[in-house]
Amino acid sequence: MASGTGLGNGLAVLTEYVGATHYLLARHDVSQDGGLDFVVCSDWPFDIVRRLSGIIAGLNSKTTELEKCRAQLQPVFHAMPDDIGLPRGVSRSYCAVTFSIGPTRFSLMLLFPEDVILSQDALRDVAVLAGYVASHKIKADVRHDRECELTERELECLFWIAEGKTSDEIAVILGISRNTINNYITSVMRKTATRTRSEAIAHAVRNNLV
Amino acid sequence: MTYLVTENRGCDAGRPGRNGRAAQAAGLVTRLQAMQRQINARNFAVLRTNGRGLPAARKLTCVLHNWGTSCEEIARDLIDHYGEELLQHLDHSLLPVLWDGKGEHQTAETSDFGPFTRRLKDRKLPYSGIALPIRLGAQGNGYVVFAGSYIDASGEQIVELHGRSAQIMTDLLTFDEKRPLKAEALSDREISCLQMAGDGHISEEIAEKMGLSVHTVNAYLGAATTKLDSVNRIQAIAKAIRLGYIS
Repeated sequence: MASGTGLGNGLAVLTEYVGATHYLLARHDVSQDGGLDFVVCSDWPFDIVRRLSGIIAGLNSKTTELEKCRAQLQPVFHAMPDDIGLPRGVSRSYCAVTFSIGPTRFSLMLLFPEDVILSQDALRDVAVLAGYVASHKIKADVRHDRECELTERELECLFWIAEGKTSDEIAVILGISRNTINNYITSVMRKTATRTRSEAIAHAVRNNLV
Repeated sequence: MTYLVTENRGCDAGRPGRNGRAAQAAGLVTRLQAMQRQINARNFAVLRTNGRGLPAARKLTCVLHNWGTSCEEIARDLIDHYGEELLQHLDHSLLPVLWDGKGEHQTAETSDFGPFTRRLKDRKLPYSGIALPIRLGAQGNGYVVFAGSYIDASGEQIVELHGRSAQIMTDLLTFDEKRPLKAEALSDREISCLQMAGDGHISEEIAEKMGLSVHTVNAYLGAATTKLDSVNRIQAIAKAIRLGYIS
């Protein structure tokens, strides 16, 4: 959570500007089961952060890929579960807004005072600015996600399979043998921990690899 | 005059008719022109990436602009000179991109926002410009570009335009991904079968879970494949995810 004090300072300024009290920046490409690696930086009370992984995973699983695309930079308000204790005077609803830097999605989540109504326009501006600050500060480590472990050839095969091509057809397109294609695909399934070709393609589409 | 460049894309069955699309485009153009005036730009263009994630095949295409008839040249010029750089930038940053034009007074400036912008080198084009990267995912990646001769935008203006540009891209995405007409819509059974197939289950497992025979499951998957205008099950799954039928 300590990564980048510059980022923290920047987000703190934005939080204050929009009239909120606490910020948390989460990234969606890091697994939320166990561990708090997905929290890029935050000044939320720690016992709330600990509960967050479940909440974020829940929000993610309910929406389709297209809805996620359309929801970018659209601030939404969610209610905090009743059993979470909040600092005095902080509203029980919080605001979340997502943006992407390259293939990585981020959510900026803000706590704000009970009696304050945040402006949608200001929230969107703040999300854009948070994207700028984050582009500056986390540029270097964006490439760590496991998708990047797939080679260009493997991605090329995935792309053609998603277009409905068979191994034989891809062999002709790429000018390599059918067996090589099948090897690439087996290797993709191993790397992405998927059981069938269908699941491998589904994984690739969900993660915007093809 | 404004032109909407129609794209030849396979996966958008049931897009609205010509008139509906023209009307939608007109609405976007009005908004873009208002934005363009704010920073004293002369033209706008919306560029989208296509070729999906495939690195070698990726390129920017101009989908909406008001450059008039000479557009093709202008767009090609822009993409030839800066396309590669813009694509790379889009892969790791949301910072606005600025460039100066060939003419002496053709500059794009921002007095108070320098550190939060990226400047493209050399004066390669006959106009200066600002390009706002937008990264929604799926087909919603690209840039909204404003071009002119002398552009001076404050940080506040850039941020506001950036937010509104993202909204434009979101709306474009919505127009494109309209679901197929009702007659071709997928049934609940077909959707469940596709979902399970996408989750890595084979037909036998799906049959067992749904209490159906394997033949019935395959028939559902086959029907879904036809409705989604796909050649096989895998392509149907890929399309169903992109269209939001399954997750």
